Amino acid sequence: MTVADVTLDQLVDWLTRFRAFVTENQGYLTELDSAIGDADHGANMARGMNAVLDKVGEPETVDALFKTVGMTLVSSVGGASGPLYGTFFLRIGTSAGPVTSLDGAALAAGLRAGFEGVVSRGKAEAGDKTMVDAMGPALDALDESLGSGSDPATAAAAAFDAAQRGRDATEPLVARKGRASYLGERSAGHLDPGATSTAFLFQALAEALA
Amino acid sequence: MIGIVVVSHSRALADAAVALALEMVGGSPPPIAVAAGAGEGVTGTDAIAVAAAIDEVASPDGVLVFMDLGSAVLSASMALEFTSTDAEVRLSDAPFVEGVVAGIVLAAAGASLADAAREASSAMTAKNAQLETSPEPAAEASVVSNGAVDLTLLNPLGLHARPASMIVAAMGGLDAEVSITDTASPERTVSAKSLMGIMSLGAAGGHTIRLEASGPDAARAVDAIRVMAGDGFGELE
Repeated sequence: MTVADVTLDQLVDWLTRFRAFVTENQGYLTELDSAIGDADHGANMARGMNAVLDKVGEPETVDALFKTVGMTLVSSVGGASGPLYGTFFLRIGTSAGPVTSLDGAALAAGLRAGFEGVVSRGKAEAGDKTMVDAMGPALDALDESLGSGSDPATAAAAAFDAAQRGRDATEPLVARKGRASYLGERSAGHLDPGATSTAFLFQALAEALA
Repeated sequence: MIGIVVVSHSRALADAAVALALEMVGGSPPPIAVAAGAGEGVTGTDAIAVAAAIDEVASPDGVLVFMDLGSAVLSASMALEFTSTDAEVRLSDAPFVEGVVAGIVLAAAGASLADAAREASSAMTAKNAQLETSPEPAAEASVVSNGAVDLTLLNPLGLHARPASMIVAAMGGLDAEVSITDTASPERTVSAKSLMGIMSLGAAGGHTIRLEASGPDAARAVDAIRVMAGDGFGELE
């Protein structure tokens, strides 16, 4: 591996930082969800990520790490974020395989596989006011940055920038998936909670790789 | 007998739906497993628990899974990645309560996975039809065609869920196609094998239903319904 490769320690750090974001912003995420959903996103994500960090320990390979993360999320989150984030991490693990580090291309391939899993599980498309609206642009920015020769840290920072823009762009949208879709036009004017937690996911990645 | 899995955010909701269905099952109920809540009193669903429930009731006859809403659907579809059974598993798109009732009653009557799944899926159509059905009685009497049998419903509630499930169960072992029409609303005819169809007739006490049957067991099928109707489906005081 080269110095730029992403280590297992950095991946665990990513999860640790994501846990910190969702627990510190638990009230904020729940407030967003109470406007257009069922007011449990903050509590669900905090409970899920706390369970993840309890289970992770010292993983030996990338696939073992993300299998633990995904399986723990699907059985501890409770809401739709469980199967969605669970699928995301499980697919990263399957894509990465039994390795102990990821180069930029392997990181991008893993995240892309996770994203495709989310899309296939939730059947959401861009513009439906979901986590897809933050994750899709983030991965496009990551790919573009890596393609122009940047290291994973720089690419992750670009991904975080794009995830924030994607999150902010959900505000005027009318929800077409999930509980928020029951509100129809009234869902416009609020940030999507899933896109907001996804922006934290990429903020955590950018900080872990920095 | 097919197995039934009930996936809900709420254990109380799932248990109540199952209890409602079991009131309509006369004989042995099918294997039923509930996967509800996300542990420790948390409202939600757990894909691992759904997979365990599927494996618990799985047999070569297959498993039919009913889900309430939102994450229940996502967790059930994800559970298919974690099951160990080789049995065919179908996720029903039926509305929750109607689906659980239809699935359990039909499974108890020995329905195949395909038949139970199709019948449960038609539950919403049946409800739509029921709400749009004109309550006005037909003004003109229609002529009874050859082979049709008219029966008057003696029990006060008519063909509500319990009698409907008795009819479906009675049809279970017979090689016959029986249609039922409420002569008060003769524009709609349903199969005697369709729980939701029979219920959607809204045939009330005092109404006359018309049976038309074909197939090798046609006479036995009509007799079975005639006997049950004559006894007011066990609901006469």
